[in-house]
Amino acid sequence: MTEHQDIATRRATDEYVAAEIHRLLAEDPDVAEQGITVVRRELGLVLHGEVESVQRRDEILRRVAEHFPELAVTSDIGVVRTHPPTEIEQLP
Amino acid sequence: MVIRIAAVGDVHLDEDVVGRFRPALEEMPNHADVLLLAGDLTRHGTEAEARCVAREFGGLGVPVVTVLGNHDYQCNEVPRVVEVLEAAGITVLEGNGTVLDCGGSRLGIAGVKGFGGGFAGRCAADFGEPEMKAFVQVSTESADALKAALHSLDCDLLVALTHYSPVPDTLAGEPPEIYAFLGCYQLGQAIDSAPTTLALHGHAHHGTERGTTPGGVRVRNVAHPVIKQAYSVFHLGEHLEPGEVSRMGSLGTRPAWS
Repeated sequence: MTEHQDIATRRATDEYVAAEIHRLLAEDPDVAEQGITVVRRELGLVLHGEVESVQRRDEILRRVAEHFPELAVTSDIGVVRTHPPTEIEQLP
Repeated sequence: MVIRIAAVGDVHLDEDVVGRFRPALEEMPNHADVLLLAGDLTRHGTEAEARCVAREFGGLGVPVVTVLGNHDYQCNEVPRVVEVLEAAGITVLEGNGTVLDCGGSRLGIAGVKGFGGGFAGRCAADFGEPEMKAFVQVSTESADALKAALHSLDCDLLVALTHYSPVPDTLAGEPPEIYAFLGCYQLGQAIDSAPTTLALHGHAHHGTERGTTPGGVRVRNVAHPVIKQAYSVFHLGEHLEPGEVSRMGSLGTRPAWS
């Protein structure tokens, strides 16, 4: 895994922070998520995407808070539903 | 004649997910003749995670056929992962195919993981540094293997199964800058070289469900975050009117013409 430098003092609007978080989430073995989008907003960062369990969502937020304690981070991460389909698609 | 195909990709199993899909999977024999998994079955590709996949997707009462995804390669345990899956009765394809008897019709499935490289006009070329040449070579070899597998199958309906996307259509929603890491046109070219009915892939979590190859083969992105349900079901059959393409029907009862 790539070493992440201490950039806790940077502003949330710094796009390098978004890049660092994006890589952290993919490369941290306890997270391994490539499907999370980091969006910079005026009031801080928003994390978008969907994961397979509540534990994974919690772990993402925990890791980001641990690496970037000064950042304002909002979660918009959902857990993908696993209900059976109600419709079929016909393909001639 | 209709063949009912259930499909999902990118389920990323580990202990924390085991059991989440199972209630929906228990209904599988009522809804589908086969379940196809479009790779990224695990988070890191460990043997332990493969055992989770085997518990969740084994013993469903229908054949299960899969390709691996990039996550399944992360820990370099692919041979063990494949062993565990196959011990659970799951067929793992990589540059080969299988033919299943589905109610008297022969369904051929050819599969590869595939690779990135990008799409026509915006793709990597076999030029320059050795690293770039090696990258493109992997894409080309993977597509060549898919083409050979598609052409090797004697069947009534032919399906291509990949993890990476063969077209850009189903990537809509992803940042265009990363399309080259999500698929390559060579896979589409392989699919178009054979009488393929349907191409299924995953990998692009923010992508779109529906697309077509330049040759007109329907492509579906079945990544779990895209379909937002345990699996999707497709009915393939020559009896269906071309104007009925993608008509949504209700699940649970077999149509009279089956």
